[in-house]
Amino acid sequence: MPNDDERTASPQGDPEGNGDAVIVEPTEADERENLIQRRRFLQASVGVTVALTVTGLSALTVTGSLRPIAKITPQQEPPADGDVLVYADDQKRLVQASDLQTNTKQTLCYPKDPKSGVVKSGTDNNLIMLTRFDPTQLGPDTAPHAAQGVVGYSAVCTHLCCTVSDWDAKNGWMLCPCHHSQFDPRADGKVMGGPAPRPLPLIPLKMTGGQLAVAGGFMTSVGCS
Amino acid sequence: MGKWLDERLALSRMYKKFFRKMFPVHHSFFLGEITMFSFVILVLTGIFLSINFEPSIRMVQVGAKQLPAAYASVQFIDSLPFGLVIRSMHHWAASVFIAAAFLHMIRILLTGAYKKPREINWLIGLALLSFAVVAAFTGYSLPFDAFSATATKVGYEIASSIPIIGSWIAQLFFGGTFPTEHSIPRLTAIHMVWLPLVIGALIGAHVLIMFLQKHTQPKYAEKVAPNKILGVPFWPQQALIMGVLFAVMVAVLALVGGLFNANPIEHFGPPGPATPNVKPDWYFLWLYGFLKMIPSAWHFTVFGVFVGPEFIGVLIPTVLILFGFAFPLLQPSEHKLRYIELPSEHPVRTATVIGVLTFFIAATIGAYKEDLGLTTGLLWLLVIGGPLVVGAIAYGLLRAIYPASARESAGPGSDATPGD
Repeated sequence: MPNDDERTASPQGDPEGNGDAVIVEPTEADERENLIQRRRFLQASVGVTVALTVTGLSALTVTGSLRPIAKITPQQEPPADGDVLVYADDQKRLVQASDLQTNTKQTLCYPKDPKSGVVKSGTDNNLIMLTRFDPTQLGPDTAPHAAQGVVGYSAVCTHLCCTVSDWDAKNGWMLCPCHHSQFDPRADGKVMGGPAPRPLPLIPLKMTGGQLAVAGGFMTSVGCS
Repeated sequence: MGKWLDERLALSRMYKKFFRKMFPVHHSFFLGEITMFSFVILVLTGIFLSINFEPSIRMVQVGAKQLPAAYASVQFIDSLPFGLVIRSMHHWAASVFIAAAFLHMIRILLTGAYKKPREINWLIGLALLSFAVVAAFTGYSLPFDAFSATATKVGYEIASSIPIIGSWIAQLFFGGTFPTEHSIPRLTAIHMVWLPLVIGALIGAHVLIMFLQKHTQPKYAEKVAPNKILGVPFWPQQALIMGVLFAVMVAVLALVGGLFNANPIEHFGPPGPATPNVKPDWYFLWLYGFLKMIPSAWHFTVFGVFVGPEFIGVLIPTVLILFGFAFPLLQPSEHKLRYIELPSEHPVRTATVIGVLTFFIAATIGAYKEDLGLTTGLLWLLVIGGPLVVGAIAYGLLRAIYPASARESAGPGSDATPGD
């Protein structure tokens, strides 16, 4: 590049000022030198591009691997029709509808596949809480999914995914200990106070041969945000 | 011996250059040093904790119980001689770090020391405070008891509530959907290696820049020795004071750590299906209070992207930090600030700082919403009205006590001497 500049600039900078344009014909050697330089530049550009692409792609792969692959084990399968329920803190014991008192604090449990015997406690998203009411107290949307007055909800708060494990005895509401979201278990898990944006997902329950069981998956998506 | 070393290490030149640095004499200037010393104590106690900690949530057999390895290793730390005291000291030193850094920042704000030429150090300082809070949060997660798992889970969900990129970022830092077997090792690496390195490097840069730019001078220095640097030299006077301060801090933290044990993991037990009823540490209470105040209805979906009330938990601190970063840039100045500005001479700025403090206090009150029986409406009134009213009262009082005429006659000292 500096060579080119000199050649075009020299006529204007002619010290004699006679205005004669001095055009220097490039010699053969110059031409060859130029070609070699151009070739080198091209080679270098290709090299740099390839190197950057390889490095960039490798870096992307490494960054991508920082997010672990989510593996779904049988313990993490979502609850399904026919699953029975076991106590979360004593997973060998089946939950019976008759064990549950009406209008008392919710019971935390996990679904269990009766055929394979797998307790689906591998993820908090399978945590179900049960409360029991006099069936006449249940709202029209909730009553069809209850079994002997027992209603089931996802225990995962829709605000920031804490377990809704407290009980507001005064109102008969389920209470999240984290940011005090309140949910009415009689009315489809409706938000009664606090910051939770959505109602708790309901899970339909049924009685099969005198045993309390799940009648299908959660009716809305489980989890927060 | 001295001569031998001097010939090789040029100690006398270093002495002249560094050891004669003048430190202004004012108690509020110790806040930065307290922050730095609490970092030193955090590193020292952290070394002890790190070599005994097992970063894993795999279940191990302890007596008759199956416990997460991290939890069991913290039980082991607590069983060592002075183990629980050292763990408590680490916890309280983190509190001191954040408190002292915050008060140091308020001091800088009130005296105008963030102004030209010290904008860079203002930014580094804000970054330090932010990293310190992140470090404290990652430290929460490590014992993996019911409390720590809950707090970390909430942090994970707040991070993943950022629209579009949130879940990716959260999974990157928490090793997948918290808690997975990758979570504690990753948070351990962040807490024990990378954040201390970053914080250490930033403290180094902060101190070096302060050394190059020199401290702002107290007001009286202008009258006593105009255009000269007034203070006590680093060696031996200031070094002695620093040594005493450090020793006092170690002693007080050991006493407090011995009397008030931090995070009693066996009280909460290992994580279970239920959530314990807990509040976060004091420096998160304002954010925690805010999360409770946001009404359930504040959520919407734009182009299929859900923006919920929990996102506010990211938004408010981000806005505050960005505002803080922009602060010195909003007040461009031609002169280099040499003498501190008195808070009484800048009623608007002082009243604004008091207003922001009121905001933090009001939001912290929100953390006790149920305990105090406050309604959401009243809290919003406190959080929005409180800062405005208190700020206005502060402004009025400042104007009344220090009339404008008195401020002008106070001389040109508020705006620095040109040149420096």
